[in-house]
Amino acid sequence: METVLEVKGIFKSFGGVHALKGVDFTLSSGEVHALVGENGAGKSTLIKIISGALQPDGGTIFYLGKPVVVDSPRKAQEMGIATVYQEPLVYNELSAMENIFLGREIRRLWGGIDWKAEEEKARSLFASLDLPSHFLKEPMGELSVGLQQLVLIAKALAYESRVIIFDEPTAILTEHETERLFELIRKLRERGVGIIYISHRLEEIFRIADRVTVMRDGEIRGTFPVGEVNRDRIVELMAGKLLVETIERKRSRGEKPVLTVENLTRKGRFYDISFEVFPGEILGFFGLVGSGRTDVAQTIFGIFPPDSGQVFFDGARIHFSSPEEAMRKGVAYLPEDRKIQGLFPILPVGYNISITFLKELLRGFGVVDEREERLRGERYVKNLNIKTPDLRTKVYSLSGGNQQKVVIAKWLGTTPRVLFLDEPTRGVDVASKSEIHTLIAHLADEGLGVVIISSELPEILKLSDRVIVMHEGRITGCFTRGEATSEAIIRAATGERLLGVRTS
Amino acid sequence: MNRRTLFRKREFTVFGLIVVLAVVFSLTTERFLSMSNLTNLLLQLAGTAICAIGMTMIIITGGIDVSVGSMLGMSSVVAGKLLMGNVPVLLVVLAAMGVGLLMGLTNGSLIAYGKVPPIIVTLGMLNIIRSLLFQLLGGRWISGVPPAIRVIGLGKWLGIPISMWIAVLLILFFSYFLNSRPLGRAIYALGNNPEAARVSGVNLARTTLFVYALTGVLVGFAGLIYVARTGIVQTNTGTGFELEVIAAVVLGGTSILGGKGTVIGSLLGAFLVGIIKNGMILLNVPALSEGLVIGALILISVVIDVIRARGERL
Repeated sequence: METVLEVKGIFKSFGGVHALKGVDFTLSSGEVHALVGENGAGKSTLIKIISGALQPDGGTIFYLGKPVVVDSPRKAQEMGIATVYQEPLVYNELSAMENIFLGREIRRLWGGIDWKAEEEKARSLFASLDLPSHFLKEPMGELSVGLQQLVLIAKALAYESRVIIFDEPTAILTEHETERLFELIRKLRERGVGIIYISHRLEEIFRIADRVTVMRDGEIRGTFPVGEVNRDRIVELMAGKLLVETIERKRSRGEKPVLTVENLTRKGRFYDISFEVFPGEILGFFGLVGSGRTDVAQTIFGIFPPDSGQVFFDGARIHFSSPEEAMRKGVAYLPEDRKIQGLFPILPVGYNISITFLKELLRGFGVVDEREERLRGERYVKNLNIKTPDLRTKVYSLSGGNQQKVVIAKWLGTTPRVLFLDEPTRGVDVASKSEIHTLIAHLADEGLGVVIISSELPEILKLSDRVIVMHEGRITGCFTRGEATSEAIIRAATGERLLGVRTS
Repeated sequence: MNRRTLFRKREFTVFGLIVVLAVVFSLTTERFLSMSNLTNLLLQLAGTAICAIGMTMIIITGGIDVSVGSMLGMSSVVAGKLLMGNVPVLLVVLAAMGVGLLMGLTNGSLIAYGKVPPIIVTLGMLNIIRSLLFQLLGGRWISGVPPAIRVIGLGKWLGIPISMWIAVLLILFFSYFLNSRPLGRAIYALGNNPEAARVSGVNLARTTLFVYALTGVLVGFAGLIYVARTGIVQTNTGTGFELEVIAAVVLGGTSILGGKGTVIGSLLGAFLVGIIKNGMILLNVPALSEGLVIGALILISVVIDVIRARGERL
């Protein structure tokens, strides 16, 4: 088998973070090569570099034996490297056929589109894959996600792609659609196409892949023919030996849970979620991207309505229909993405902090007591060690770590009894990160019930008293501090159900 | 609120421009500094400044209202008709503002609850209201309103038109409102990052409805002032007025991208537009060039905004 694609010594960093540290990777024609790793291991970065969406800082890409520069996704596509993303990128209003030929339409002499030739070519493409083609003229938006994916694969073949990258293709497919996709991947392999297959579902890898490469911390940890490796070995390589830091805690957990969640379900997102949060404890929620952790938190906080299940606060059944209501009761949620849901970049630090508790600051005639507002703002700036010239400074000019502290201050301002922290240290420098960790521990010691959602295993292990693991919308593991090892957690996060649902 | 937040850089730039232009016009024309010209200028500005308060808030939320010209026309018609029917002045004031409120609420509910883009809703309303106004006037025009009302339009106190005093009071009040009332903060928050505002517990629909309704009321009041000043209402009263108001707001430093702006800035913006127009007439510059100058100024200030905003993302 010839090598279609080879990357050598690829380096890439974002700011000060090294996402790829000299990665070598090869793909042969007619091979399905699986790529696995925890969040942040560097898979996506590698894929983006191969498909032209990112440029490497160093290293070389060889395509069909020749060194190439892939400086745009379009270039990659024209060379014959196609990518099928998890959520298909499609033009909903155009027909399936138009989607296939978009940007490289078959033209007549005077430039008009030769619809007949396009249709013939599309039909023969689908026929060669033993796929039905009756939906070719339907608008893309009316096709199921599974069919949309097939159309994109057909598009890749129309470009005569030699390499097709699948980024978590099965995450949103039904079982039947998954089977059909696997069938198709096998056919592509027979045709000599090289396939890079990314998935969090390890069982799929043993079904479909020829080789598997494990990545961790921006490096390749090993490449094996699937016959020579087992699941445990892969998990072990993914988890590695984590240096787990510890943090000083009082660990004085309350007797009665402050928040109890029972069988909470939001269809398509998560099912049967039950857990309890006690005052004074830190409950870690781990799961890979798309496992539904964030949806659970946002549903409890009243951003989305649940389909079924119950939530109890202080033993009384409640239902929050808006964030405002949840805040009033004493539940706060620090959103995952501070850019989207957390901050007002062009407003002053002071306004950003006080917006959640302005109503408490009212004097007569509904006027905000600006002196009190300033005093409280200054107190948070001091306690959280937010580095800002003053409260009037606009938030966009602060560093990522300090921006994150502003969001935390804003939610502490509601004096919550349960605080959900969704990825509290994402994009934050190391020093601020450790400060935020100390702060979180301190808050729990003061009796706050803290739920920390994180994709970073070291963070979860460092802070949590208990860990709940989610996989594809369900709880697949629940560990106490003693039981929680990185391997056990990753095993649960990749879909191995270790326990029945046990809440505390 | 301290001096630093009151006079941010942009307001100073506009203020400086106004001073420079005033000096230039008083040196190049004889009539610019005359009492009658200045009074006239202030009289014309008062209505624009009052409407610009509401428009500022709308643009801070990231919206726009192009129907204010038609709304001004409609409320002048209502006020004019009632005045001709010898309805007590106080009732006329309330009716003009009430009609404005109604129109503003219509705009606001379609935008806040119907989720229709503001430009579409208010463009539709611009045409609908203008057409209703034609029906109401039936091709005639109203003139000769009773003198009692004209005090609001023409009267002076300490040499300054009463309508301008009212405008200044309203601007001071709403300046304070935007800074010190939770709803004022919500307006900025909504305009800067609606998603974060929602998660922070801001009621987005109610805030949106409020800014359009308030604009309606203020425009209604401005319509009354218009009748009181000119004494006539025609079918084309207020046509193109929306552009003048939007120009004032944008020149005054309110960002069309949302989240940024002050009503004091818009007052200065209104002065800038007013002085340019006034000076050009006095200099006998053809009316066509007026559009050129104001249009260019708007483009320049928007481009500055957009460039500056690039550095203000997270």
